[in-house]
Amino acid sequence: MPFFDRNFQDIFFSGIISVIGGIFAGAALAIYKDKIILIPGMLVLLPGFLELRGNISGTFASRLSSGLFLGIINPKKFNTRVIFGNLMASFFLVMIISVVLGVLATLFTYIILGEFTFKIIFLSIIAGILANAIEIPLTLITTFYLFRTGHDPNNIMGPFITTTGDITSILALLIAILII
Amino acid sequence: MNKIKALERQLEKLIKIKRHKYHPLIHKIHKEHKISRKTLLYIKEYGPHSNISKTIVRESIKILLFASILSSLGGFALEGLKSSFLTLLPLIILLPALNSMIGGYGIVLASKFSAMLHEGKIKQKWPINKELKILICQIFVVACFAAITGLAGALLFSYYLGYILTSAHILKLLVTVIISVISIVIILALIVVIVGWYTYKRNLDPNNFLIPITTSLADFINMIVLALLLLLLF
Repeated sequence: MPFFDRNFQDIFFSGIISVIGGIFAGAALAIYKDKIILIPGMLVLLPGFLELRGNISGTFASRLSSGLFLGIINPKKFNTRVIFGNLMASFFLVMIISVVLGVLATLFTYIILGEFTFKIIFLSIIAGILANAIEIPLTLITTFYLFRTGHDPNNIMGPFITTTGDITSILALLIAILII
Repeated sequence: MNKIKALERQLEKLIKIKRHKYHPLIHKIHKEHKISRKTLLYIKEYGPHSNISKTIVRESIKILLFASILSSLGGFALEGLKSSFLTLLPLIILLPALNSMIGGYGIVLASKFSAMLHEGKIKQKWPINKELKILICQIFVVACFAAITGLAGALLFSYYLGYILTSAHILKLLVTVIISVISIVIILALIVVIVGWYTYKRNLDPNNFLIPITTSLADFINMIVLALLLLLLF
């Protein structure tokens, strides 16, 4: 089994793209740090919020890949029971976890600063919905596309989701801040 | 013909078995009809009689809640050091990239290890094989290269944004990033192997558990490592 095989190439290129995407998201974070990071509790919310894309869209992509490889999911059909069930579950999970993250950020902020900032709960929910409205369909389309073009989605989807997830999450947070 | 009817009957039976019960039927069908265990798990969990979204939510919710609490605790450590963190612009820029790395490599490792488990490539007695060792080494090489590239990008952006860079600062940041990457890959590999093996042995789909556990635990430990390095080096 050679070290620099197709797997290595897939992981290497997706890893580099992932870091470049992360740097752009980080640059946006640095530019708007007065608007984003300076909000009390934001550093408590941020790691979990960024991770949420990977946790939900990542498992979604992993289940899709398994189904595609096993032949249970038809790569030419989006409108199936299995996919609909997966989509519903992903959106439902995003809603619940966004509320939990917001509540945890509020609680920890109270512990550190001694003040309640309920705003962060609404911020988390709105940003969560916005980010996933982009991320979940993107995951579905990309996994199908990669499978149809002969790639192993397992190698590429991880870094792809976290990269696009970082960018959409930061943008969604900015939009949510503007809305609130 | 009789064999197909027998298989149909066995599959019907398999779908009706409650998830918490041990089902040797999977092993029996796998042996008799040469259908992979992964296919049978899929038929059982997401078959025509199951409520797919309910199954996924039920399996994922606890682990996602656990992941959220852990990530928030990691963020809590950083929030405590907010003032010194905010002065280090390159680290602010690198934070999503490090997060991406944990998530990305966590997903690659977890989904590949799940596939190895389902395909029977991992032995019952020892969860590490040659393929897994090579995969971990590949991820380690790519992660180091990506982290150094990321740091270069973060330094460039910081310079562009007016941040004053000194050679001592750059060296400290390099040490921080390298230690973070080494700890990330070691933690990811350990968690994936231990949790993946454990969940598979309990007849659960590792796909639903491994990714959230791996990324959140690794993220939490990475935040603690970052917070410690911030305290020690800056």
